[in-house]
Amino acid sequence: MKSLHVEGDTFLHRLPAGLKLAGLAAVSLLLFLLHSPLLLAFAAVAGIGLYAMLGLGWRNSWQRLRVILLTIVVVSVFTLVINSPVDAAAVFFRLIALFLFAATITATTSTGDFIAVVTTAAKPLEKTGLITASDIGLAIGLVIRFLPEVLDRYQAIRDAHHARGLKPKPLTLAVPLIILTLRNADEIAAAIDARGIRSQK
Amino acid sequence: MDIRFEQAEARFEGRTVLHPLTLSLTERRIGVIGLNGSGKTTFARMINGLVLPAAGKVSVGGFDTSKDGDRVRALAGFIFQNPQNQIVLPVLKEDIALGLSTRKLSKTEKQEAVSGILARFGIGRLADRRVHELSGGELQLAALASVLVTRPDVLIMDEPTNQLDLKNRGLVEKTIHGLEENIIVISHDLDLIGGFDRVLCFHEGRLAADGPPGDVIARYREIAA
Amino acid sequence: MSTRDLVLAALFAAIIVALGLVPPIMLGFIPVPITAQSLGVMLAGVILGAKRGGLAVLLVLVLVAIGLPVLSGGRGGLATFFLPTAGYLVGWFFAAVVTGYCSEHFVDRSQNGIVQIAGFFLAALLGGVVVDHLMGIAYLAFGTGTGLATAFLGDLAFVPGDVLKAMIAALAGRAVMVGYPLLPQRA
Repeated sequence: MKSLHVEGDTFLHRLPAGLKLAGLAAVSLLLFLLHSPLLLAFAAVAGIGLYAMLGLGWRNSWQRLRVILLTIVVVSVFTLVINSPVDAAAVFFRLIALFLFAATITATTSTGDFIAVVTTAAKPLEKTGLITASDIGLAIGLVIRFLPEVLDRYQAIRDAHHARGLKPKPLTLAVPLIILTLRNADEIAAAIDARGIRSQK
Repeated sequence: MDIRFEQAEARFEGRTVLHPLTLSLTERRIGVIGLNGSGKTTFARMINGLVLPAAGKVSVGGFDTSKDGDRVRALAGFIFQNPQNQIVLPVLKEDIALGLSTRKLSKTEKQEAVSGILARFGIGRLADRRVHELSGGELQLAALASVLVTRPDVLIMDEPTNQLDLKNRGLVEKTIHGLEENIIVISHDLDLIGGFDRVLCFHEGRLAADGPPGDVIARYREIAA
Repeated sequence: MSTRDLVLAALFAAIIVALGLVPPIMLGFIPVPITAQSLGVMLAGVILGAKRGGLAVLLVLVLVAIGLPVLSGGRGGLATFFLPTAGYLVGWFFAAVVTGYCSEHFVDRSQNGIVQIAGFFLAALLGGVVVDHLMGIAYLAFGTGTGLATAFLGDLAFVPGDVLKAMIAALAGRAVMVGYPLLPQRA
């Protein structure tokens, strides 16, 4: 799994991940409170400036952003048709600004740093007794570890369909995929327990 | 290392899978054989506390598996049949380090322990590799490293060569023979355990034979016939 | 939470991600391909129940947030949570929990197959369609400022596809329950 992180050493890369996330939360709140298209347009320009600091170039940036930009355009056009041009402009600029701020943070923060922030943020959850902070790091690792195996299994089930001349259907693909994958849970859990990774009584 | 079973019995969904068993294991290399469903895997899992006795008691180094699970697991490592399910993090060195996560060690101490154990099994070059890309033999060596990095006193292996091709089987067997740790190996591979100090043979949930490899393997052949 | 529950949730999260990465599946009777990821969310609730299913979806959302392109079409990153469609995405978590909670209460192993499928369908409909779409509409209307009428109209286009997914989730949920039962049983 290749992350959307971009290697680099800009000022944004060096900021602590927690600070960046707190900043994003504050900025997003502010942008939702603003309704003036002009102010929001300024924010959008700031977003473009920030994203440009990554130095990805037009081509690479376009490839990373196009799918999501399209969604924003569709929603803006929809707003234009049903509401008013002012509303549409506000929606458009607000989403562009938010989207670029968030994409910049994603690009300048490594997965490891994010996991560290998530683990810290999850500390209060330990009080609920449902899950510990280190469990979250372990669970994220497990998903990334076993994803390629799930994909291989999916391919094998699809191939088995073709080999038997059957048309792949959602039901006949999903059911064996789920059963074959979840059947490993007992042994994986036993291995984790046997290694004493999660402290237990 | 002293492993004791005192009238220990295991049940699964109301069925007795291991009848009350009393024995003490102190030899350095012990083999466990038996037909499929004979109770040998349950026996092995009871040593590590993965299966707790329904009656009686199992202890490792004086610690009761039912009461001191964490201590027992630190003393007795376990290697499963399918190494695929044993390595749980995406990058090999991260996974090996995971076993040390509950120990109070500095970052450098952990790194040294990880690179040391990988070098010992000749897989240092795989440290940064994604686990998904490793071969079956490499995975089984990685599984050994992931367990031995915590320095257990005894290592229990459940058919460690079962899923390997001939070449990888040879590699893993050579590694097992070279281990300095106390080992308990469940295996269908009679050549592997032929040179061990003691062999146990299970049949229908009971210990059918116990002693030097030659005698026990002969008894196993009678049962299987 | 037992280690097994944690592992089941993580494996299911991997399944949900995988369903977004594989090519869309064509259904026999309609010409539109379906993206299977939101189907995966309903399946998590139907198969694992509220607690583990909710955790599975939460893990997927965490992976999105930390910048992994795990959503269909290779989307991911924090920006995804600020899109007009973010309500549907966050709604997945509540969808899985509600679907799981209802499944645990509507379905038990002693019922006959038709009743089980109907129970799962209702659960997936309440969680995966009602809850998720309400959250999607709410954010679209008030969060991005598109207005309720616009948001509701835009939403309608996706209702039939999701009702169909609820049906598939119900059939798959029953099939998995027969083959490898995991759903917690409630009285």
